[in-house]
Amino acid sequence: MAIKFERVSFQYTSMDNKGYLALADINLSINKTGEFITLIGETGSGKSTLAQHMNALLQPTEGRVHIFGITVDDKTKKQRKIKLNPIRKQVGLVFQFPEYQLFEETVEKDIMFGPKNFGVSTEEAAKRAEKMIEVVGLDASYLKRSPFNLSGGEKKRVSIAGILAMEPDILILDEPTSGLDPIGRNALLDVFYNIHTELDKTVIIITHDMNTVYEYAKRVMVMREGVLVYDGDPVALFSKSNIDRWNLDVPDILGLTRDLEAKFDYKFTEPPRSRKALFKALEGMLK
Amino acid sequence: MKNIVIGRYIPGNSFLYSLDPRTKILALLILMIGVFVIDHIMHMVYAIAIIFLVLLLGKISIKRIYLGLRPLLFLLIFTFTFQIIFNRHGELLFEETLYYSPVSIALAAAIGIFWFFTKRFIKFRLLYFLMTLLAIGTVLSLTLFPGTFATGRFAVYEEGLFMALFIMLRLIIIVTLSTMLTMTTKPTDLNLGLEQILAPLKILRINAEEIAMIISISLRYIPTLLDEANKIMLAQASRGVDFEEGKMKEKVVQIVSLLVPMFIISFKRSDDLANAMEARSFAPGRPRTRLHVLTWKRLDSCVLALSFLLLVTAILSRVLL
Repeated sequence: MAIKFERVSFQYTSMDNKGYLALADINLSINKTGEFITLIGETGSGKSTLAQHMNALLQPTEGRVHIFGITVDDKTKKQRKIKLNPIRKQVGLVFQFPEYQLFEETVEKDIMFGPKNFGVSTEEAAKRAEKMIEVVGLDASYLKRSPFNLSGGEKKRVSIAGILAMEPDILILDEPTSGLDPIGRNALLDVFYNIHTELDKTVIIITHDMNTVYEYAKRVMVMREGVLVYDGDPVALFSKSNIDRWNLDVPDILGLTRDLEAKFDYKFTEPPRSRKALFKALEGMLK
Repeated sequence: MKNIVIGRYIPGNSFLYSLDPRTKILALLILMIGVFVIDHIMHMVYAIAIIFLVLLLGKISIKRIYLGLRPLLFLLIFTFTFQIIFNRHGELLFEETLYYSPVSIALAAAIGIFWFFTKRFIKFRLLYFLMTLLAIGTVLSLTLFPGTFATGRFAVYEEGLFMALFIMLRLIIIVTLSTMLTMTTKPTDLNLGLEQILAPLKILRINAEEIAMIISISLRYIPTLLDEANKIMLAQASRGVDFEEGKMKEKVVQIVSLLVPMFIISFKRSDDLANAMEARSFAPGRPRTRLHVLTWKRLDSCVLALSFLLLVTAILSRVLL
């Protein structure tokens, strides 16, 4: 078990001492390999706060988080015995807005910044930058450009490359596809999926897009007002009662298959989860 | 960063809160001039007693004021010791010869180092610091150690002690007064008051309204920028920047990694804000109506009159006594 939450609650402190409970009594565990998780929920439901607990950027005010054998609780920061920095090498977190992290003169230097902080040599870091810029769908000509003259989508890709270059064991992405065009979005999701399948790494994606959830995820977590209300199979999540209960959007493919089933009075043996799978199933249906 | 008390508004209800901001600003100015006019330590003690009375009447907790003073503790201690050591007028109060020998200096240094490494475990740091100073002084004044190569003299004079106390009290009063103003006045009200007080400057072709707008926008963006800084720190921390530990050389890179995004975000924000203001037809210098209009009450006149009275008393006490 790579990450394990034990009765974790987190309260934001505010000026008038009336704290805001962002996480309430969360229990979950995540494996080091083989998981592709999507984390969904309305804005302000605590998704990002939960993600920031997974690499110890925030420490729970109650309960414990175990991350790769290190236990983090409310006293961890005060005691200063445990170094939290190594956790961040193992669990890479990409923030939603790339503006918060890009600062070097060139894209290359910015991608190298993370690995170098964790003791990777300059040559090795440069090699990784070269590799990762291609992985996120840009080419090597970007390496010498300034990160501030890029478009929003390009900045986003560079910031993701910066975390990928750290070669974390678990990759967490906070809304990685917001602000991207549909083609770029799908390409990037394929990148994450490839990282997951080829390197057998656990990937966690925070998203508002139910299509992503339905098509890619093996497991889905739903946050609602700081509470983890659902943790499990994405297909089961989109049952009629759950959709009504949590105000979820129906994924395009699921809506289409349901309509098809109703119209033609047909039952798919296994509901298709992607366009490709749907076409394949349709072939069977037409025969 | 969240514990800064200076300049922060704390909601409450007392007569200080219901005063017009113009009154409070003017009264602050008048009282500050009064504090600078006073030249006798006893009068300063009276002044601080009056401030205490106002704090009590205004239902402001002394603890909050103390928290506001805490960042200035260093300055207070510095001026105090400076006066005590270098001001050599008046009657001699206390004298001690200091013997510098290798052993005593080594021992004093050892105490200093011990203090440096243990201070984080002690709750009353200031007291601990003073005790350490006392211990060092005692060690240096002992004649036990051989090999004395120099002697020094530590003396406290009446004037030095009085001046030290005097300046300290003056600083405390000034900071308390300004903390009282900012604590009981919303930044927007403060700004409005300032704008109206500075309005006569139009004769000098200084546009008070613009200045007030600049101040209010800056004040408005302090919490926002703090929030942004926090987010940047988290984003960089997840790339392995350790803001709490790290060597000096790393610290420079850390600060750069915080400042560059900070600047970029601020520029972008100010650009957005300018556009948003223009989209709502804001034109500098044009007359505008106000959402909140300040009203002058009888209480305001009373407070202002009292402040004047105190200033006159201070001037009289200086001239006559």
